[in-house]
Amino acid sequence: MNFQLTEEQQLIEQSAHDFAKEYLDPITGQLDHTVEFPMAVVKELANHDFLGLHLPIEVGGAGAGFVSYVAVIEGLSRSCAAVASIMNNQAMASYAIQHWGSEVQKKQYVQALVKGETIGAFAIYEHGPTPGIGPDALVATKSDGGYALKGTKAYVRNAGVAAVYVVFAVTDPADPKSLTAFVVDAGVKGLRVGEALTTMGLKGCPVADVIFDNVTVPDTAVLGAVKSGGDVAARVLALASVAEAAQTVGIGQAAVEHAAVYAKQRVQFGKPVATLQPVQTLLAEAATDCYLARLGLRSTAQLVEDGKPFETEAAMVKSFLARLGSKILIDTCQVEGGMGYSETMPLPRLFRDIAGTTLLDAPADFPDYAIAASIA
Amino acid sequence: MPKCLVCYKWTLDEKDIKIKPGDLSLDTSRAKGKISDFDRNAIEEATLIQEQHGGAVHALTYGTSAVKQSLKDVLSRGPETVYWIVDNSAETADACVTANVLAAAIRKLGPYDLIICGEGSSDLFNQQTAARLGALLGLPCVTYVEKLSVDGDTVKATRKLADCTEVATVKGPVVVSVLGTINKPRIPSLKQVLGAAKKPNKEIKIADLGLNAEALQSKAVHKSVKGFVAKRKNIVYKEPNAAANVGKLTSSLAAEGVR
Repeated sequence: MNFQLTEEQQLIEQSAHDFAKEYLDPITGQLDHTVEFPMAVVKELANHDFLGLHLPIEVGGAGAGFVSYVAVIEGLSRSCAAVASIMNNQAMASYAIQHWGSEVQKKQYVQALVKGETIGAFAIYEHGPTPGIGPDALVATKSDGGYALKGTKAYVRNAGVAAVYVVFAVTDPADPKSLTAFVVDAGVKGLRVGEALTTMGLKGCPVADVIFDNVTVPDTAVLGAVKSGGDVAARVLALASVAEAAQTVGIGQAAVEHAAVYAKQRVQFGKPVATLQPVQTLLAEAATDCYLARLGLRSTAQLVEDGKPFETEAAMVKSFLARLGSKILIDTCQVEGGMGYSETMPLPRLFRDIAGTTLLDAPADFPDYAIAASIA
Repeated sequence: MPKCLVCYKWTLDEKDIKIKPGDLSLDTSRAKGKISDFDRNAIEEATLIQEQHGGAVHALTYGTSAVKQSLKDVLSRGPETVYWIVDNSAETADACVTANVLAAAIRKLGPYDLIICGEGSSDLFNQQTAARLGALLGLPCVTYVEKLSVDGDTVKATRKLADCTEVATVKGPVVVSVLGTINKPRIPSLKQVLGAAKKPNKEIKIADLGLNAEALQSKAVHKSVKGFVAKRKNIVYKEPNAAANVGKLTSSLAAEGVR
């Protein structure tokens, strides 16, 4: 049994760290204020093959595997979790199209997504409790040669900048299991993006509703089989949850490292606060949480890479981090005291970002439900 | 189309080295390896020359068994082949031994039109390897290079000296050592990282280099290495005005010999 990354995985992890230092560190603080989509950085992600990291070489990807993917997401998140979110949502769209798409869909979209020529988005959520249920649910009504889409998808990340959406709609409003995935170009008539949502963290990764006002798409826009959207969504969201856990670990690690440096520099009572036991306890617990979370995270990623069931383990990691993510930030802020609370320091941004990675996509108690269901 | 060789050293990453509080000795137990910083510039420069003029770039390293960790890293940065020499002598090798080993390997592998080294290694920074290589191989050596261009068999190098720059034009083959300002080493793309496994790495046995024991015997011996920790005196001057505080400060500095 080996818990270490392979030589290639270590080099890829190092590439992510070097990339983050070169391209993300200079913009992170600014992005938190301007909230502008960092297109130039996304292009660089593509130039360094990060956007196709998880995809096979035949479609232009790097074929690097899921362990490398989470190592990269963690590495990028240590500098800028918003960019990691953009990359993860791009990956959700490209993965779905590559795995369930027709040859025509793959040819049309996957390479463009890998090269960063096209931004993708994964539109699954709605304002109702689950897709297909609620007053504004997206419904795909069959028409001659295609479907008419009407309704709203909510909390769509990369919305507005995306040129292609992987969209989920029920084909029968009375049957949530009729959920079907579609690939829809942003420029089609009747599709519009709502006002950008001002988020607490992960600023720079845009979030908005996408409104479909009788958008007509051909039959060839269906991704996979009709009524198979639930399976597509479940698989992609499970993978995305592992990547989001990697974001949480990356943010937490960044907070621990910043607090440790600060504690060595900050002198109180005639000596650095790092020598005071209460501070040591805070740092030690936060570092331990990050270490254990990373072990669980990489073990889960290995299951994905080996083609084994991973959903329970992914839920465990998500649940663990949902409890501890915010605690890591509270503890590290505590180490930095009044200065740590200041917006001149990075911890407030990290605090807001970690809330995004632990709260989005699944409420904190949802993973526990999945874990319990798998063992009882 | 120049045939280039880049010499590089696999060193410990100084950011991972900790100083033990008691005896100030260095704790390297958790230090990862890295290609020495200026050597990355050397690799990048050779790769840029190849991209512009064609030819070939090979890499060469000498070290302990740890250098094996560097092979995919260096190949991901451009060179098409890496040659590596592993020997315990590298553990204590000074610049003289290193140059002896590298020169012997270059005689075996060469000829090369251009041999590029980093100006100094991240760990010892002796700044001797390139100059010694030039002497041992009977080649001209240009050091402190911050700009390099190749035109046929002529190399034009801008040297950054203490208070001026100097442009040297040399007919190859030539050894140059480059500064960190010469370029910005690329971050290898993932395809370059994964493609490195397909490039050849070839071991050269030190026994095949025809070096005698004296050539592998370091003249310089490091008896111990200790970390430097700045000790604060925590003196606070509490005079009633700034001028008096400054006066106290200058008196204190003068008492310590600061003029």
